[in-house]
Amino acid sequence: MTCQRCSREASVHLSETVDGTRRELHLCGPCARKAGLAPPDPPPNAALEAIVDHLIVQHVGELVGELARASCPLCGQTFMEFRTGGRLGCPNDYEAFARGLLPLVRAAHGASRHVGKSPRRRTPPGKSPGLRLRARLREAIAREDYELAATLRDQLRQEDADR
Amino acid sequence: MNLDALTRTSGEWLRGTGPESDIVICSRIRLARNLADFPFTNRASDAEKTEIERVCRSAMDKAGLELDYQSLVNLGPLDRQLLVERQLVSRELSNGDGPRGVAIGPRENMSVMINEEDHLRIQVMNSGFSLPDVWEQINDLDDRLEEQLHYAFNPQLGYLTACPTNVGTGIRVGVMLHLPALANTKQIEKVFRALHKINLAVRGLYGEGTQADGDFYQISNQQTLGKSERELIRNLSDVIPQIISYERQARQEWIGQRRQHLHDQVSRAYGVLKTAHTISSSETMHLLSSVRMGINLGLIDDLEIRTVNELFIHTQPAHLQKIQGESLEVDERNIARAGYIRRRLLDGRHEDESADE
Repeated sequence: MTCQRCSREASVHLSETVDGTRRELHLCGPCARKAGLAPPDPPPNAALEAIVDHLIVQHVGELVGELARASCPLCGQTFMEFRTGGRLGCPNDYEAFARGLLPLVRAAHGASRHVGKSPRRRTPPGKSPGLRLRARLREAIAREDYELAATLRDQLRQEDADR
Repeated sequence: MNLDALTRTSGEWLRGTGPESDIVICSRIRLARNLADFPFTNRASDAEKTEIERVCRSAMDKAGLELDYQSLVNLGPLDRQLLVERQLVSRELSNGDGPRGVAIGPRENMSVMINEEDHLRIQVMNSGFSLPDVWEQINDLDDRLEEQLHYAFNPQLGYLTACPTNVGTGIRVGVMLHLPALANTKQIEKVFRALHKINLAVRGLYGEGTQADGDFYQISNQQTLGKSERELIRNLSDVIPQIISYERQARQEWIGQRRQHLHDQVSRAYGVLKTAHTISSSETMHLLSSVRMGINLGLIDDLEIRTVNELFIHTQPAHLQKIQGESLEVDERNIARAGYIRRRLLDGRHEDESADE
């Protein structure tokens, strides 16, 4: 059965009887939430992960497929974390999450192109050697690969000195 | 930096001078900037935040900026609150954690917060309605920092910020207005609705979520992308004079129709402030607002606007406790506040003069 307000599959089914007349309502999750009808809670024995996912969807809306699982290779932040916390993790997130982010930026500013001041020196965020080296350094420390960490620190210092 | 000395001086932006300073307390611009080589503050480790702080401080030194740096680590809650009341740091920086701080200019009209939501939050604030001057100063400051720093920037989206609501120019242009007559006639609601329609935000004295105590309202842009800094400044500069003229008109109607009534309200407010022995912060703000308007309408002639501007800030909880030199409970603060106001009003002087003696 399809939702009575859009063409998605209906997941909330409601019937009520007012003055002897029976009315039925079939809505998909998002339309039901818009109408102020919360979908039934998941069964209490569901896995914790499912409950958390359910809560996130309830609060930030559903994210489609891969976007929900997208993460930035440089800082590790996921798009889902951005939607729940409202903050991005690093300058590269603007590229890593471009598909999900640009519509939000357009909605917030009514524009999608910068006009105005620019710095004289520019490096595209994905190409910033510092950001990449720091990401590798974090990974090395997490793996307890202190030899690599020391090398990366030296490279960072070299980068800094070159500037 | 000696924070105790702050209670004996006041920021340049409180002088009560500059264009339209009967209604516009101050004009302020802030720029959000981030370093290209680091994760944003919320994702940075303490070691990375220390490094960000070091890089930024070294850039400020090399740029030859006359700024005093104050780390917020190991600074007690009272001192941090003092900086918030002073409008030098945000509540977010004050309540944050890890390496963070603020660099403050000599007359407090310049400050650079490090490791707030963005790596750098640069702020310039002047007394009166003077956005073009403020822009010139902050643009120059930003240029000088940029020569030393490598900002995160992308040609399509501009300056990249931790929150996409600031992306692009990273600019927040704001003016703080004193609007007692519009507040009194409830016309203020209409003004706000009109402002929201053209994408301008209205906040109280201490920013987002604070109540408009003392009839102070901060009006600022929300859009940061797709318009240049100058356009955004012009948008605000075009709207503010209209609000100023509504406020003036409302004041004239008030004084024209109910002069005795208004004079009575102003004089009683002044009288209570000069004689009270215990007074809450909220009543203080309310009465000071009447007195401030009374001075501007010529109903009070023995008090400077600057003294009143300062009292709004110096009667805030952290300022009072620093002035008294001890931590005080609410009741004790109310007594201390009343005493402080009596002394200041009977002296009729602003803090810098008394400090010179």
